[in-house]
Order: sequence, then C-alpha cells, then structure tokens
Amino acid sequence: MPHDHDEMFEADNATRAGRGPVDHPTMLSSCAHAASAEEAKYRVQYPNSIVRTSRIFALDPPAAEAMYAVTEDPWENTHFLTLLADSTIASETPAQDIPLCHPDGTATNLNTELTDADVVVLLATRNSSEAAAEIIACECFKRKIMCAGLALRRASSPQSISQVVSSMRKFTRVLVVTEDDDYIPAMLTALRA
Amino acid sequence: MLRKEINELLTQTDSGKPMGDMFRQYWIPALLASELSEDDCPPTRVKLLGERLIAFRDSKGRYGLMDEFCAHRGVSLWFGRNEEDGLRCPYHGWKYDYTGQCIEVPSEPEESGFCEKIKLKGYPLIKVGDILWTHMGDKEDRPPEPIWEFATVPAAQTYSSKRWQECNWLQAMEGGIDSSHVSFLHSGGLKTDPLFRGAKGNKYNEADKKPVFEVVESDGGLHIGARRNAEDGHYYWRVTPWIMPSFTMVPPRGDHPMHGHFWIPIDDHNCWAWSFDYHPTRALSPEERQAMEDGYGVHNQYVSGTFRPLQNKDNDYLMDREAQKRGDSYSGIWGIAMQDASLQESMGPIVDRTKENLVSTDNGIIMARHRLRKAVVALRDKGVQPPGRTPEHQLVRSAARVLSPEEPFGEAMQDDLTARHGVKQTSV
Repeated sequence: MPHDHDEMFEADNATRAGRGPVDHPTMLSSCAHAASAEEAKYRVQYPNSIVRTSRIFALDPPAAEAMYAVTEDPWENTHFLTLLADSTIASETPAQDIPLCHPDGTATNLNTELTDADVVVLLATRNSSEAAAEIIACECFKRKIMCAGLALRRASSPQSISQVVSSMRKFTRVLVVTEDDDYIPAMLTALRA
Repeated sequence: MLRKEINELLTQTDSGKPMGDMFRQYWIPALLASELSEDDCPPTRVKLLGERLIAFRDSKGRYGLMDEFCAHRGVSLWFGRNEEDGLRCPYHGWKYDYTGQCIEVPSEPEESGFCEKIKLKGYPLIKVGDILWTHMGDKEDRPPEPIWEFATVPAAQTYSSKRWQECNWLQAMEGGIDSSHVSFLHSGGLKTDPLFRGAKGNKYNEADKKPVFEVVESDGGLHIGARRNAEDGHYYWRVTPWIMPSFTMVPPRGDHPMHGHFWIPIDDHNCWAWSFDYHPTRALSPEERQAMEDGYGVHNQYVSGTFRPLQNKDNDYLMDREAQKRGDSYSGIWGIAMQDASLQESMGPIVDRTKENLVSTDNGIIMARHRLRKAVVALRDKGVQPPGRTPEHQLVRSAARVLSPEEPFGEAMQDDLTARHGVKQTSV
C-alpha cells in the first residue's frame, strides 16, 4: 500500500493503476452501489438454512428448573433433556447407559438424541454431574457435533461456579457464564434452535 | 438470528428511540480535541445520535456543542463568526454562548431582554485526554466524567483517531467482540504490522486457528476469553473486555501499545469508529506514533483533510486481488481497520439479522445483544440506569496470559483485567 495518499487516491480513482491485472470487468465504486439501502431490497429472499437439530442437557436440578421455564416455547427440532433423578453416572459409564428423560418423564438415550444433532448445549449450576458432561461431550466430539456449555450462576457460590467452569472447560468449545436464566432462550433463539 | 423488532430496538439511536436514549446516558466521544485546537478557532459540524450539532471553542477556551442552526432563520452556524465569547450567525448577527444561550440579537433593543428568551439546545463538551466528550442526556442523570485509562494516562503515552464508518454502529461494534474472525481476516497483519508483529503470543495465534471461547458476564459488560494451546498443556488466553454500550479493547501483544475502540452512532446508517492506542507505563516511541499516523494497527489512512478512510466504498477499498492471492492480505484489503470496515459496510447500512446463522462461537455477540436489550428495556420501562456509566466499570484493560488448564481466566486474570495506575499491561 503506497503512502502517498493523495497521489494514490487520485490514481486509483482515475485508472485503478498499480493493482495488478484486472481479469474481469469491474464497475468502479461497485461497493458503494452494492452497500446502499436501495440495493438491500434486491437481496434474494429465501430460507438459507434448514432447521437445526438441537439438544439441550440440564445436568443438575437447578439447571433443569431454569430449562423448564422455556421448554414450552415454540422451538423447532429441539429436545430438552435431564438426567434421571438419583442416577449414578461415572466416567466409565457407557454412553448409551446415561439415564436421560424428556420433560414429560419419558426415557430416552444418548445415542438416539445425538443422532443427527447439530448443536448440543450443556446447562449446569454445580459440579455434580461432571461425569455425565464428559460422556456427552466425548460423544459430541466423536460425532463432530458442536458442544457448548452454559454455566448458570443462579444462587451458586463463586467457588461452586468456578468448579463448574473448570469442569466444563475440558469438554466444550464454547463456555458461557451468566447469572441470567433469560440467556437460555436468547441463546437458543440466536442459534435457531 | 435476531428477531426484527429486537434488531430495530438495538440499531435505532435517534432521539426518542430506546437505544438512542440509552446512548444518552453516557459520556460519549464527540470530537478529537485537535479539531478545536485553539480559542476562537473555526467551528466544526458534528452529527451524533441523529442530531446535527455545531462545536466551537470560545475566547476563554470553553467548549460548546449545540444545535447547528440559528434560531432566527435556520442558518447553519458552521458559517458563524467565533468571536468574543460566542458564535455569531453571519446572517443577522445573532450570537450564542458556549451553552447555546442567545446573548445578542442586534436588531432588538438591548434592554428588551429578547435574547434571553432564545436558547439553542446545547450539550456539555469536556476535554478528557485528547478527546472532547459529550453527554446528551438529562443533566440530572449525568454520570461522573469518563476515566478510561487511555484518556487519563499522560499525553505522551496515548494516541487516538477516528474514522467515519458507513454502516450502523451495532454491526461495527460486533466486530470488536467477534474474536473468531481474527485468525482469518487479520491473519496477515500479525506478521507484518509494526504495532502487532514480533510478540511471542502471535505464535500461539498462528499455531492454533481454532480457539475455544469463554464468555463471562462482568458488572459493566462482558469478558470474552479466547483460549489457544500453549506449551506443556497450558493455555494462551486473550481476553477482550466489552463495556456497555460500545467500548472494546483488543488483547495486547508483547510490549506493543494496547488498542481499543468506541463505536458511536452518527445516525442509523453511519457511525464513528474511534480507535486508540496507549501504553500504561511508557511514552509511545516516535516510530510507534508514526505507524499510527500512517494507518497501521487499528488506525487508518484518510482522504486528505477528512475523517473518511482513504480506502472507502467509492474506490472499492482499493481491493488488491493479487495481494489476496499471494496471502499478503486475507481479504485483499490493506490494514486491519479497513479489513473490518469494508466487510461490515458490505452488509448494508443495517444488516438484516433475521437472516443470520449464528453458531456457538458467536456467543460473545449473542450475549452482548442480550445484555444491550435488557438494559435498553430496563431503562425504557423502569428508568434503570444501564451499566458502564460508573468509574469502576471503566477501569478495565484487555490482557493476554498463559495459564494452567485448571485456572479460570476470570479469577486468575482479575488484576490483569483491571486498569491500574503505573502498572504495565499483562501481555505475551
């Protein structure tokens, strides 16, 4: 980029000189025309993506409570899932044995839920389900599914949330820490869940 | 994806619009101090938040910012005579002081007191650092004067510039918190730009193109951490603070000066991109200052005598396809600032966010929009003052550091992310 401002500016506007060969006709100021409000009307109107398959896992009861507040909203192909109460999950628990259920209480399994999933979000308020988080995230990794974590502060102590963050950091490509449950629907809407 | 009504809520900033009202709760940058360089210098037109204003510096060095047009017949006071403690309309001699109060109507008897009944809408204009700041909201809601570190270090340690960006403020600002684009759009600059090159941290950027992100709410906005692999299982963290509504800082590299931005609406289709560089503990070197003036780093070159970038949409940003092909510049556009601006302007004056397909790594942007929306609604519906107005929210810094895997950046880097007088930035 030359530094002789005026000279370069004049030369460029006059001849587009010094920019190498132009192998196709280019309309001068095409960017100015294309970026105008007038031209925005001519953008092609069509659905540029198909519906995503989203799976939301609440890993502890307070996270489930926050999640239940939004499950009735009109989501697309989104499943909201919790771990069965009193279930014991260790890191060696086979993925298909993780006890999952839908909000209406019907049971399901990880293999079914992750088939064709595009987006997985793990919700947690405490570090009680690190093994489940690890197993779900590992399955996502194997299946090349983006796995995001949402650590909800709620009434958790700083130490507790710190443990959640440390734990989820190992497994997720994106981790969000918020004290605002309203962020759950905001994020899901933004991700077209 | 953002619903149409929320997109409109956040992008419309004229007076009476909720987002415009929110911007009016802050001290915002209005002009470079150099634009009003001496007493009785020529006045300058200013457009902010959809309002046409005139700025001037009177005979006593007081700064004024007020309605651009004379209350008499609507003449632009850009043509005014700045003399003897006021700005005089050249048409019929009406004169205004720095508050916008009319102090002379020559055609009326002086004893009539007529001029006391005339006042142009005016806003305070104060100098902090090398910037003139204004507060366009109600006087009773005026926050403390700004104390951003870049504006309060000695003059020899700081440099600010501004450029006209021809798109809505929000899409420009979102570029400042979109850490994932750096590995692509700005990849050439890390090796060549004199204000970035040579830092050890650059090697981590180059070696790990897929950073992992953590977005953590702060009192004033967000901390957005980008994590890359470093030696021995450690992580290289680059943390960007965003303070509401539109302040961001770029994580530092080596001992290079730190950089950051404000994005301030001119109107709904244009904004000012303010860019600053500063070093907390030393003067900028002549070479660094020259590089900034030459448009390196976060700065840019100009069409002579204007704040319009030399590379602009009327000359297709001087696109260089050969440089793009060679890999000198990922997009073919020269300079980091214009690499961002060219793409953001290409979205159109206000990007249609209903068409977006955001992904999980966009959570910084998603969270910023969410916090803006909540703050705008809280102000509109309940009169709750938004975050980012108070000094403690403004004492922030970006930082870069290598941490062990178990250390959360929010705790381990708490001091690093706080502006501390006389303490060097934390950088790699």
